[in-house]
Amino acid sequence: MRGKVHPLWEKFSRDLESVSSSDQLSDLRDEYLGRKRGLISLELKKLAMLSSEERPLVGRKLNELKEQVEQSLLEKKSYFEQQHRSNRLKTEGIDVTLPGYSFPKGNIHPLRRVWEEMEEILVHMGFSVASGPEVEDEYYNFEALNIPQGHPARDDQDTLYLSGNLLLRTHTSPVQIRAMESQQPPVRIVVPGRVYRRDSVDATHSPMFHQMEGLVVDKGITLADLKGTLEIFLKALFSEDTLVRLRPSYFPFVEPGAEVDISCIFCRAKGCSVCKNTGWIEILGAGMVHPKVFEMVGYDPEKYTAFAWGMGIDRIALLKYQVNDLRLFFENDIRFLRQF
Amino acid sequence: MKINYKWLQDFVTLGDLAVTIEEIGCVLTDLGLNVEEIESLDDNFILDIEVTTNRSDCLNHLGIAREIAAHYRIPVNSADVFFSENKKKSTSLSSGIQIDNSDLCPRYTGRVITDLKVEESPNWLTSRLESVGQRPINNIVDITNYVMLAIGQPLHAFDYEKLEENRIVVRTVKSGESLNFLDGVQRQLNPSMLVICDAQRPVALAGIMGGQETEVSVETSTIFLESAYFNPGSIRRTAKYLGVTTEASFRFERGADPEMTDKALNYACHLLQEISGGVLAGPILDEYPNPHPETSIVLRSERIGKLAGLSVDQEFITDVLPRLEFGLSPNSKEGVWQVSVPSFRSDVKIEVDLIEEVARHYGYDQIKSTYPAISGIGKFLPTRNHDRIITRKLEGLGFYEAFNYVFANPSKEAMFWDSSSSSMVEISNPLTGEDTHLRISLLPGLLRTLERNLNRGNQDVRLFEFGRVFVPGNGDLQEVQEISKLALVATGLFYQPFWDQFDDQFSFYHLKGVVESLLDGLDQQGTFEAISNVEFLHTNVSARVSVGDKLLGVIGEVAPEIQEAYRFRQSVFVAEFSLSPLYAKPLQEPQYFSFGRFPSVEQDLSFLVDNKLEYAKILDAVEELNISDLQGIKLIDLYQGPTLPQGKASLSIRLTFANSERTLIQDEVNQHTERVFSVLQKKFSVEGRS
Repeated sequence: MRGKVHPLWEKFSRDLESVSSSDQLSDLRDEYLGRKRGLISLELKKLAMLSSEERPLVGRKLNELKEQVEQSLLEKKSYFEQQHRSNRLKTEGIDVTLPGYSFPKGNIHPLRRVWEEMEEILVHMGFSVASGPEVEDEYYNFEALNIPQGHPARDDQDTLYLSGNLLLRTHTSPVQIRAMESQQPPVRIVVPGRVYRRDSVDATHSPMFHQMEGLVVDKGITLADLKGTLEIFLKALFSEDTLVRLRPSYFPFVEPGAEVDISCIFCRAKGCSVCKNTGWIEILGAGMVHPKVFEMVGYDPEKYTAFAWGMGIDRIALLKYQVNDLRLFFENDIRFLRQF
Repeated sequence: MKINYKWLQDFVTLGDLAVTIEEIGCVLTDLGLNVEEIESLDDNFILDIEVTTNRSDCLNHLGIAREIAAHYRIPVNSADVFFSENKKKSTSLSSGIQIDNSDLCPRYTGRVITDLKVEESPNWLTSRLESVGQRPINNIVDITNYVMLAIGQPLHAFDYEKLEENRIVVRTVKSGESLNFLDGVQRQLNPSMLVICDAQRPVALAGIMGGQETEVSVETSTIFLESAYFNPGSIRRTAKYLGVTTEASFRFERGADPEMTDKALNYACHLLQEISGGVLAGPILDEYPNPHPETSIVLRSERIGKLAGLSVDQEFITDVLPRLEFGLSPNSKEGVWQVSVPSFRSDVKIEVDLIEEVARHYGYDQIKSTYPAISGIGKFLPTRNHDRIITRKLEGLGFYEAFNYVFANPSKEAMFWDSSSSSMVEISNPLTGEDTHLRISLLPGLLRTLERNLNRGNQDVRLFEFGRVFVPGNGDLQEVQEISKLALVATGLFYQPFWDQFDDQFSFYHLKGVVESLLDGLDQQGTFEAISNVEFLHTNVSARVSVGDKLLGVIGEVAPEIQEAYRFRQSVFVAEFSLSPLYAKPLQEPQYFSFGRFPSVEQDLSFLVDNKLEYAKILDAVEELNISDLQGIKLIDLYQGPTLPQGKASLSIRLTFANSERTLIQDEVNQHTERVFSVLQKKFSVEGRS
């Protein structure tokens, strides 16, 4: 600061000292710098009455004073703000360990979860999803699948009958027939759905369960294509190191037929109670579609071949989530449902 | 099927192979005879083998031995164990066999054996039987069982003296005939069934079970031993009809070997002579009116590759098939054969069956993975995205998904029938006497699930279910309509108790909000209209929900009657919808449209109104004004209480105005608000409040 200090400066300094809140600070600002009645503003107005010699000198001093006052006000303001912030931080506070707001959980059913997962993998592999009725007749559920009246395989699938020759489908395979009846090859479908058997409820049986069926019809389809397709599918469903094994087996609607095992996902094929120390878990039935079935839907078995497989969605869910009792899926206790 | 490892070695010599029992187990499993368990028994092993329904030839030790022998390329030892006749001769006893129905009984073989002493079997025999789960009875019956388990042919011994005129007649049942069976049960027979008779009456149900009156007893010294081949379908129908399964019927209905009857009879006679002191009274009696037709199949080696994806050389084919007792003769074409099928392989009928024979002996493990060519993109069901949105919304809103059985109890569920149906689909052979029908609504099952949860201490429960319900066709029972439905139930607190606020009970409006949220997710809008005619809903807390002109379903509080029946101590809210109206509108790709750049203005309007007036009427009246700047109406307060005049409610609505072209000025907003108020005044005599 140059030259003599303006007399107002001392007064301002004293006043500023006594200011203790930002409101008072704002009043102080008005008192000195207010456009009409501010002490400095009034002094500036008086400049007009001074001689042309005096005016620049007094004017400069006044402007210096004004700058100084503004500067000091700003500093004080920022001091109050700073004080206010630290005050807030000191006084405000919560117990962060108190519980957060409780939003409800909610869940889709574990069977839907597996169902969707399987469906998604297969759709990405080029399969289209098909569905069909749960109430079927003898033709679609048995005869067209090469299970004529009196066939012993009908024993394996104890059936719930409705009136007439209607029944609750015992597998999703009737949808294969319906799909082949309604389109020409190539066919590449996956059929998830609900199926029924006349089984009493226990830990491993249920009169209602879910299956997923795959069908590929084209020229040159082989059992090797089935193996490759299932390997990709089962690796995606379980884990990449899953091994897949085909064993000869029998289902009336396929020939050659196969039972498909995966390497035990629990013991990494070392042997445990789930795989009964064999290292393998039976996972699905499959095979090359039987020429009789082709005959039923009017496909030429010399021109086309097809593979098909069927698996229990419930069984996959039991395995994947290590659920030890099938009944839990149908009791719908929310303590069970919320775990998925 | 249990297989005794030492017994197996009667038919195949494994000693020179130096294989372990585990290896044998793996070999059989790889051949399609899944070994489920190997149990060690003293110095022996018992294999538990899962035999598929087509392989009736493997329901005995010889059959399993054949497979092992073919695998290891060693011979089957069978021919010489079957028969040797001792020199003792008794007087020839006559016994005539007459087959009246050769379709059902293509072959019947028998022999009379005298001088038998019925007693306990020797140890070696009982222990073999017991090792495979067969209970010993007496030496005669045990021998018949032993032969069956050894080589697969079921036999039956009749007390010869008790056969009227010592005759055997094979015929179908005459009306009114019945039979007292060996198991002590008398069963009524019907004329489609095949029976073995003496001169007068049925003495056995063919291939299934013998009768009590001709049963072998301690007094028996002469038997007539039956070894026959019956039509599999006929045995199966009869066994199924009577609900009886025996070791014999199990084999006959899957197909026995018609060429085995005489051999098995010889084998049994051999054992009867050795063990029971029997003397053969005369030759084998063999009626074979309907000889087994030989199956002959053309096999093309190229089809093996085309189906099994294996490249099997011709040497393997010409080696393995004869080992399995198939006859191969070359066809004029290279790589093509005419194959005759052995009589014990009734499962092999066409070329693909032979291809499986070759493939399973070549080894499914030899199949190298390949992949079918992609033929197009995979598609989900068209309804999948709808389902996805609904399930995920509900999940987020705190609902758990239930999967309930479709079986329903009609007496408890009649009130859930909707007006379009008056009956339920009946199951003719239900599992229980209660759940005898198929569900017509998802709600009873869902309420039962709710009940179970409440009983187990889960107080705040929100559940949903997706599934089909079954509606009988119009008077025509042959037709069943399957309707996809969605149902919701909710009760208890909307949010779990929170330490900083009051509890909020689930209400009609919560569930309505859930439904509106679902519909919004599908880009659809519902209309809710009060109804009072749904039996299972509270008459004053229930609504019909529609989308456009299509009825979706109902929503409401369960009727007090139901609440009491399920012993719910709190209000329960439910909704059930048909999904097809929701599916009918396809989900569109979202299309962006610009929202206004100019600020919107809100104006609140409070007024008193008759408390019976439906809110929807107010909305309709405002909408009819067609004020284009009016962007939205929101109910912000509703009060009914003692401070208001009787029968009045106080409503506050918030009107939002905006214009896409410019900023609205206050005067315009005031004018709009004034119009709204005056129409309400005119139509409903509302009184303004400030």
